[in-house]
Amino acid sequence: MTGTSLKAYALTRLALVVPMVWILLTLVFLLMRVAPGNPISAALGGHAAPSVIEAITHRLGYDKPMYVQYGDYLWGVLHGDLGHTITDRRAVSSIIVQNGGATLELTVFASLIALGVGLLVGLLAGRYRDTWLDVGGRLFGIVAYATPVFFLGFLAQLVFGIWLGWLPTSGQDSPLTDAFLRIHTHILIIDAIWDGDPGALGDILKHLILPATTLGIVYAGIFIRLVRVNVIRSLKDDYVEAARARGIRERSVVYHYAFRNALVPVVTVVGLQLALLLGGAILTEETFNWPGIGSTLVTYLADRDYAGVQGIVIVFALVVVIASLVIDFVNAFVDPRIRY
Amino acid sequence: MGRRKWRWLLAGSAAAATAAAAVLATSAYGGHKASNILLDGTTETVTNIDPAGNYDYGTATVDYMIFNRLLAAGPGKNLAPHPELATKCYSVGGLKTWACNLRKGVKFSNGDAFTSADVKFSFDRTIKIADPSGISSLLTNLKSTTTSGPYKVVFHLKHAQSTWPQVLTTTAGSMIVDHKVYPADKILPSTSSQVGTGPYVLTRYTPGVSAVFTPNPHYWGPKPKNSGLVITYYKDSATMKLALQAGTLDMAFDAFAPTDLISLHKSSAVKVYVGAGSGIRYLVLDVGKQARKLGVPTGKLAVRQALAYLMPRQTIASRVYHGQVSPLYSMVAKGLPGHIDAFKTLYGAKPSLAKARAVLKKAHIKTPLKFTIWYTPSHYGAASADEYAEIQRALDKGGLFHITLQTAEWSQYVNTLGTTKGVFQLGWFPDYVDGEDYINPFYPKGQFLQNGYNDPKMNRLQIKEEGAKTAKARIAVLKQEQMLAARDVPIIPYWQNQMVAVARKNVKGITSTLDPTYIMRFWLLSKS
Amino acid sequence: MAVAARVPPRARRRGGPWLRRLWSPVGATQGLARVMLVAGFVTTLFFLVIAIFARWIAPYGYTQYEVHGVRFAELTHPSGAHLFGTTVESDDVLSRVIWGAQTELKVVVLSLVLALAVGVPLGLLSGYFGSVLDRGLVLVMDALFAFPPLLLAIVIAFLLGSTVGSGIFTAAFAITVTYVPQYFRVVRNHVISVREEPYVDAARALGARPLTVIRKYVFFNVVQNVPVIATLNAADAILTLAGLGFLGYGIQPTQGAEWGYDVQRGLSDATNGIWWTGVFPGVAIVVLVTGITLLGEGLNETINPVLRRRRFGRILFDPLGSAEALVEEQSL
Repeated sequence: MTGTSLKAYALTRLALVVPMVWILLTLVFLLMRVAPGNPISAALGGHAAPSVIEAITHRLGYDKPMYVQYGDYLWGVLHGDLGHTITDRRAVSSIIVQNGGATLELTVFASLIALGVGLLVGLLAGRYRDTWLDVGGRLFGIVAYATPVFFLGFLAQLVFGIWLGWLPTSGQDSPLTDAFLRIHTHILIIDAIWDGDPGALGDILKHLILPATTLGIVYAGIFIRLVRVNVIRSLKDDYVEAARARGIRERSVVYHYAFRNALVPVVTVVGLQLALLLGGAILTEETFNWPGIGSTLVTYLADRDYAGVQGIVIVFALVVVIASLVIDFVNAFVDPRIRY
Repeated sequence: MGRRKWRWLLAGSAAAATAAAAVLATSAYGGHKASNILLDGTTETVTNIDPAGNYDYGTATVDYMIFNRLLAAGPGKNLAPHPELATKCYSVGGLKTWACNLRKGVKFSNGDAFTSADVKFSFDRTIKIADPSGISSLLTNLKSTTTSGPYKVVFHLKHAQSTWPQVLTTTAGSMIVDHKVYPADKILPSTSSQVGTGPYVLTRYTPGVSAVFTPNPHYWGPKPKNSGLVITYYKDSATMKLALQAGTLDMAFDAFAPTDLISLHKSSAVKVYVGAGSGIRYLVLDVGKQARKLGVPTGKLAVRQALAYLMPRQTIASRVYHGQVSPLYSMVAKGLPGHIDAFKTLYGAKPSLAKARAVLKKAHIKTPLKFTIWYTPSHYGAASADEYAEIQRALDKGGLFHITLQTAEWSQYVNTLGTTKGVFQLGWFPDYVDGEDYINPFYPKGQFLQNGYNDPKMNRLQIKEEGAKTAKARIAVLKQEQMLAARDVPIIPYWQNQMVAVARKNVKGITSTLDPTYIMRFWLLSKS
Repeated sequence: MAVAARVPPRARRRGGPWLRRLWSPVGATQGLARVMLVAGFVTTLFFLVIAIFARWIAPYGYTQYEVHGVRFAELTHPSGAHLFGTTVESDDVLSRVIWGAQTELKVVVLSLVLALAVGVPLGLLSGYFGSVLDRGLVLVMDALFAFPPLLLAIVIAFLLGSTVGSGIFTAAFAITVTYVPQYFRVVRNHVISVREEPYVDAARALGARPLTVIRKYVFFNVVQNVPVIATLNAADAILTLAGLGFLGYGIQPTQGAEWGYDVQRGLSDATNGIWWTGVFPGVAIVVLVTGITLLGEGLNETINPVLRRRRFGRILFDPLGSAEALVEEQSL
């Protein structure tokens, strides 16, 4: 691998992001504007006479021709302005800061749980292929995947929240913690540690357990499947066979060669599954009353708040685009064969 | 990986687990004295806390804590407008000009003095900003506001209105803000600190999560009976109910799903408080040309009357809502001055298939009549689906009608109302507790339903009602309007809600604030 | 392709070459893999039968609330009269679950057909012709792919719901949009690898027109992967539909029984001790999706030579074969 080719690759890949983001912005803009329905009248909640609605629509510029609105919108985005919501005048950027912390907290912990469970079960199932361990592991993975996250979440609330009474069923922390915890980063765990407040930290962690586990388990199903297949495949790889031929103990072959190789693609998949994880996060947040961007999005969608939906959808998409970009770079760096 | 490594890993994770357990076991509240802070939950949402930018129940609840109005309505039976920031409001030379004398010595939460300049400023900016989520449409009759010295304001109206004091009890610009803090031409963001004269100060607001209130040190009235309030926002009533039962919340003041309410009634941990409600649900029928254009038969009076004969009010109230709503036979909610059971008088208390058939037969209308009824599936609660399943069943049953149901989410649903939907569901919650607010928005010229109803007689009655000199004369007109509305049937009202609050047993004082104004006056509540 | 290289003697007697081809990998499995495959197949078939014959199997209609003028009690416990109990609308839960299977089938079939009808031809064209068309399409598809699938489905269902009205077609279309990029990708990538194969080259050299080449040589080769992806996507589609129903953007209750919506309505009941309205449709989702996934994974494993454990010793397989790529596409 030469430095110039990697650089050239990186530049092409980066250059491709621009039209892609433009397409994304356009898609979202068009999607939100083609349908009838008007954010103003929804905001007025069916109280106002048509003339009042018309006047306000005009003042906010929603009666301008579509291409003018489109131009204004792109211009705003170019200047880093994702706009303000119509219903409650929040800057989309502040939504990302304030609610993004909650989503980050949820998805990071869910990923950790998914990875932990997925690796463990996947490795075992792949290693002890066609035994009952394999069947059990795979079935677990499939059932986990087959369970709608909201259904699992609700069962968890019912069992651990109501029947056993061990864990809180909703929210990111209890009302009092919420009232008194000082906000530094909007990621509550970090804020609690920052202030050295073990009580608040415990409260926050307690609230995190059910949502993160629910999302994590559903997400783990994918990893189990993937890790298992990779272990099986790498156990058949030439150099694993070669290692065996050299008389290296099977145990050692499995740990040193097969597992390690099976894990490399998993890292890639963690990134590529981000879209799926974020989708799952929307439902999890809805189920657990988790104040993340996903549940915020659902609210704005129902209010037909163009600006809010546009902004949040784009943020979701950008996160995925950037993640896949980073993964591509990492892969290109690691594996010189990968080039366009 | 060697054996030793595994052992270290095991020991490490065991240590981590112990530490985590220790953290979890410590107090959840970080040592804060929580004894007298009230924890409330709601599924309502907040738009703009700035009084010029909201026209919804969830935000008004927040605003009542931090701002004051010139006049108040309630608590209890005291529903007529009475002084809050004003000491007296009176009409000057006819009903086109109203003046208010203001309370002296009132301070804002930041220490600024409250004067007539703040009142004028608040009304002016609400009209000027005309926010899409705002309430400026209630002030369309206000031409200008002038001050007369620091403690008197004068309102100049476009036309006479005897119920102007009632308008002053709403959140429409009568939530007085500090003119030194708020911008005159735009909304102050909800996350900026809000300055009002109310019993509390909003110390923290996290959109969609919570609002935290502490007592206002400069408050002019009696101190709140609790040492603070946290309102937590929920997405659905099921999760909120769980939080209430688990003791995370002290109380919730909200429209619970019918089944939730049943189980709360049974729960020993909480008490359900029920008061008279003023929210209603009704079915709008397009009339005249518009009905023909949309292909619904409700253009004919006989069809509308047949529908009125068949409306299954009892079934909806008992089966869908388990008695948590009561059948309503007029647009004006029961319990308000002037309410009469107009629909009961004209169409009977119970559905009558025979009478419906007779009225259609007399008008030579062929049956079954096929058309679509619209409802919105989540805005008025998920029970709307059940409600409309019942209506469909009741109408289809006798073979006179063949109904198809169609739904749209609120934002599309509310967009065009009667111009695209021939027959559709709506709900109403009054801006001020007066019969007028159940008539004027719906029947006379300029009504917002756009269902094509425009009756000269009704329009004349409106003018007569607004200009009525005495309360008695006004109520007489309101009754006439209700009878006329029931005869023409452009709308079929069918139920009226109750005001429901659910609280743990240690919360005191809830009954003192349950009245048709629907205001939860948290400052009257205490925790023991 | 290697798939049909060895056919167990048993299978040879039945059906034509098409059936034999389909059966052969199943016959080649053994032990637990076969059990899982068969279990998946049986479960899927079970729901398929229920869905198709719902009219005769379900005791009542999905919005039926009375029989001979006598109204069912609302929210009754599961009992002899109503095996799964009744809902707040006095609907029979068992009937709603059975009719729900039909709704799922309709939506899934419709969405798969739509996704295939759009994704496969686009992928073929894009992969075969390359150049500007390819670049443009890849960019658009990648952009679509960047949306969380559920999010895209929500937005489409929401928008279509306001123009066309909600219903089976709307839900199916919303789901379709999320799968088109997948089919497009798989097919395109595969076409690119097949395009350079000697036999395709040969066909081109013999003067076959591009469309003929695609139709005769490339399409057949590529399309073999599709059934497995389609099976696994069917499972995903059911989950997406349930997610839409849960958020209220799916099929409305009067248009058809839909499990996701019923679960959502049942959740609030469940906190009040009324567990049967939500649990049965929820379990139906889990069982059906599990069944289809077992079937899909089983098929994948048997078709995929890398994963297959063979009965008759080693069989040579195409080392650049599609199946391996398929596993990756699958899990991505």
